[in-house]
Amino acid sequence: MSFRKRNIGLSVGVDRAAVPNAPAQPAPESNPGIRPSPDDGRPTTSTGTPSLDNLLAGHAGLPMGKTLLIEENGTTDFAGALLRYYAAEGVVQEQKVHVVGVPEQWGRSLPGLIGTAESLNDKRSDKRKDEKMKIAWRYERLGEFGAGIAGSRDAPAAASPGEQDGKQQVAFCHAFDLTKRLAHPSITNMTFTPLMPSRGSPFTAVLNRLQTAIESDSPSVVHRIVIPSLLNPTMYPPDACQPEYVLQFLHGLKAVMSAYTSRVTAMITLPLSLFPRSSGLVRWMELLSDGVIELCPFPHSSDNLATSGAATSSEEPPQGMLKTHRLPVLHERGGGSDRNVGLDWAFILSRRRFEIKPFSLPPDEGDKEAQEASAPGGMPKKSDLEF
Amino acid sequence: MPSQPPLPPLLTPYLSSQPESSLTLVSSILGATSNWLVLRFLHASLSASSNSNASFGLEESHNGSKKKVVLVSFLRSWEFWRAEAKRLGLDLARLAGQKQFAFVDGLSELFCAPQAETAATIAPPNAGSPARTTLPLRPQPGAVPGRGPSSVAPVPNNSYAARSQSELGIAKKLHFSGRGIGALDALERDIALVIQQQRSTMDDSDELLLIIDQPDFLLAATGPVMGIGATEMAEWLSALQQNVHATIVTLAADSPLIHNASTSGNQMAAPVESEHAAFAISLAHRARSVMQLRTLETGAARDVSGVLRISRGGGADDSLDERELLYYIQRDGGVTVFGRGES
Repeated sequence: MSFRKRNIGLSVGVDRAAVPNAPAQPAPESNPGIRPSPDDGRPTTSTGTPSLDNLLAGHAGLPMGKTLLIEENGTTDFAGALLRYYAAEGVVQEQKVHVVGVPEQWGRSLPGLIGTAESLNDKRSDKRKDEKMKIAWRYERLGEFGAGIAGSRDAPAAASPGEQDGKQQVAFCHAFDLTKRLAHPSITNMTFTPLMPSRGSPFTAVLNRLQTAIESDSPSVVHRIVIPSLLNPTMYPPDACQPEYVLQFLHGLKAVMSAYTSRVTAMITLPLSLFPRSSGLVRWMELLSDGVIELCPFPHSSDNLATSGAATSSEEPPQGMLKTHRLPVLHERGGGSDRNVGLDWAFILSRRRFEIKPFSLPPDEGDKEAQEASAPGGMPKKSDLEF
Repeated sequence: MPSQPPLPPLLTPYLSSQPESSLTLVSSILGATSNWLVLRFLHASLSASSNSNASFGLEESHNGSKKKVVLVSFLRSWEFWRAEAKRLGLDLARLAGQKQFAFVDGLSELFCAPQAETAATIAPPNAGSPARTTLPLRPQPGAVPGRGPSSVAPVPNNSYAARSQSELGIAKKLHFSGRGIGALDALERDIALVIQQQRSTMDDSDELLLIIDQPDFLLAATGPVMGIGATEMAEWLSALQQNVHATIVTLAADSPLIHNASTSGNQMAAPVESEHAAFAISLAHRARSVMQLRTLETGAARDVSGVLRISRGGGADDSLDERELLYYIQRDGGVTVFGRGES
């Protein structure tokens, strides 16, 4: 019931702001992987990670025709996990996924589907319910981001988990398990574009292939471009990081995005340890992307700090900080007014989810010890809470 | 926060009049882009002129004189500019039909021209009508008369025909080919051609404003390896400036692009950094005014998007007031500009 009401509001939004995508709208609208943004009605698609969707400036998804650059410090591969969720979501939504630069094994390591994002949320909150004191029960439905528009439309409140498994096909975002492997009929739809050794730019052939693939397809097919670990020397030839090659490639990608605004999205990861943000080349790569997110995992030596970084011991400790440098659409317009801007974010990668939430400093250490001592039964062990 | 008119009053003196042969430099950074300011420049020039016949508004000093704008954009698509201008009440497609506005697309085919279209872009377009590579599905009012003989385009295949509607209003798509000064000259000719088309329908008192959105990308994506450096770019720009009344250029001024070149650390600045810095600084010296956009140093705030600092460039006269203002961009694209401490 409430779901229907929201829907009406949204479609009005589409009409009002239908300027850019009006001609292309009818075709993808029937596509479950695409829904209008609650902010201005432009079509968006899920990144496969609900909390990343919610971070994207109120659009509750990645707007079509936009690129997202995910940078990562250090040698961990959290960005790769995000990228796999993104690719897996594309496969499940029967979009065409184009992977650049990696062999086909990459496609076989996509995380397995375990249901919709909502069903996971429900299970999780059920589990939490037993543990939690009911001080703020009325805020429970509001989702992780409090008053966020996006958070509150995540779960249609009335649907039971069983029902949702039944309508898996119409979900916007799915949940995946990193320890399982994705088996989905449309996984064969993934195409892998290898980097051919060539005398000029190694990217020209890639871009041409992407362009022809998208152009030759029917306008109702939605494409995702996945570029893991751009410029990583184990995959890319040494001269790929010359500005005239990589910047022209990203510019060409942007041109593809603008030519097929309603049908393509792209996600790129970049290893920052090899290409630091303080270099002009990386800055240009950022300027050419619509969204820029930086992951700063906590080093292992600070495990102690990380454990105490959780506000309560029943929460998992954050594994790193996340910075948003640029958000799609919002910053193209000038930036600034997002409610998420200026918050510190932390991320937690567990087997089943990549969660982004506000980073909060832990309670004072001494205080915590006192609390633990006074707790009669002791807090439940961490292993009891993990799933 | 109270909403302000499309042209914020505090900015109006800076936006609405550019002296003859002046250069205005707008610098932006990753988190504070300049698009909104460019749109305000467009609005100041175009909406005033469309009303000037009927009303006696702000533009009385330029009695009867019209303003025209040529916008060259290297990083943003026509769709984006059209949609965002519409939020301000500017119909760029209609203005393009009326020959008040021309858009030169430096994004979609700059480095990779589709084979099917190269033939069309080489053919010289007729004066007075933009070279359209495709046949429009639905002619815009005002665009029809000049269109007749110029349709030398090859038979459009389906995908281009489907896209043509959105491409209506693009006067020219730039292509970069070759290397060095020759390639830049070709780009210059293409842009100058569009400028001449606009000029051909102008009176003497009319002013033509050239806005170039991020030409620094061209420098970054080619660089000394391809025979293009800061000097060549600066010359390219001044050649274009000679064709128009006033010029507005936007640049990226992120600190890695500006400061890496000057730090005397032990590591050498990469060519992409040093050339960018040289280009930006040489333009700042030539500019009448420099409008810097940046984020707040104290971190993000919910009611402030960034800081706009207007300062005199190297070519400034005393008439320009230097100011530092805050701005806030609402979700709907409306902008509020206010001084520090005001709300």
